[in-house]
Amino acid sequence: MMTDHIPAIDIRNLVRRYGHTDAVDGLNLTVAPGRCYGLFGRNGAGKTTTIKCLLNLLRRTSGDVRIFGLDPIRDEVAVKSRIAYVPDQVSFYPWMTVDDTLAYFASFRERWNRDLEATLIGQFGLDLAHKASHLSKGQRTQLALICAICPEPDLLVLDEPTSGLDPIVRREFIRTVIGAYQDGDPARRTVLISTHLISEFEGLIDEFTIIDRGRNVLTQEADRARQQHRQTLEEIFVSTLQPQGALA
Amino acid sequence: MLLQINFKSGTPVYLQLVDQVKLAAASGSLHPGVALPGIRPLAEQLRVNRNTVAKAYAELESQGVIETVAGKGCFLREGGSLFKKDVRRKVLAEEIDQAVVHAHHLQIDKAEFLRLAEERFDALEQKRARASQGSA
Repeated sequence: MMTDHIPAIDIRNLVRRYGHTDAVDGLNLTVAPGRCYGLFGRNGAGKTTTIKCLLNLLRRTSGDVRIFGLDPIRDEVAVKSRIAYVPDQVSFYPWMTVDDTLAYFASFRERWNRDLEATLIGQFGLDLAHKASHLSKGQRTQLALICAICPEPDLLVLDEPTSGLDPIVRREFIRTVIGAYQDGDPARRTVLISTHLISEFEGLIDEFTIIDRGRNVLTQEADRARQQHRQTLEEIFVSTLQPQGALA
Repeated sequence: MLLQINFKSGTPVYLQLVDQVKLAAASGSLHPGVALPGIRPLAEQLRVNRNTVAKAYAELESQGVIETVAGKGCFLREGGSLFKKDVRRKVLAEEIDQAVVHAHHLQIDKAEFLRLAEERFDALEQKRARASQGSA
């Protein structure tokens, strides 16, 4: 694996303050290209703020962020052309159909894999003539995933992508990330997943960071962590954030 | 061939796959000449990273268990191991050494250990017999 290359993501000492609250408080994160990286934390741990700072959807208070060695603020276009993002709350223009929405998203992209688009539309059973406003939450997430994968980005960022979805849609979602997204050049297809539904992504994650109150608590390779603790990643997550006796 | 991952066992996922393919081959549920599942379908089915499956297959190939035929996929090797007899003996001796140490700590003496080894060989034989009946 290309671990000695420029990291896909390199976050150093990231701080983001809202008023007097530090949502992110000196966070570090390094993700090598080709990795599938889990960002684990409870609700409010700072996962979404970190991702928004990473994608320049939110200004950082201090610290340094690099994507493929580039600054997402100064090199915004170059960075955005290589990444795609599925947020937890997906919204589209309600008056557009599924077909319009795909064309709209494709118009921003240099590359767009039409065959993959057709395959995934069929696989998810989406109707191209359907208005975006009539899609269910699961269908909106599926459409967002298609919009994220068809440009064949080097980095796919997923922020709580499956929360609130039924188990069948969740499975299909993960299958698509493994199958369709990783299919191109696995060494270059990097995934960052923020989630607290850890067991869903257990097999996909090869390295993870647990964060709490905006800080790193534990960073480890998944296999090594399981070897050391003889527990699933979810159990490791729980026992890391809630040491025995904390409830007593 | 049924592959299953146990995330609690502490064994790296790719090694679990390696062990299970080797068991399937030894017990006759995987036949030479039949293609192993492709990396993508297997990764999707098990919901594991493709790199994990690729790593398992690479390991199986380096151990001489499977071979990759360009454009056709991965197959169980017909000719058996790539390695010379003394190398194979050495690899197995290391595994047996570990089992002998376990036996010591479990108060299993040499005679019982050897009886148990016989039993396990027979169990695998029976599995093979059942597998060949099933496929006949």
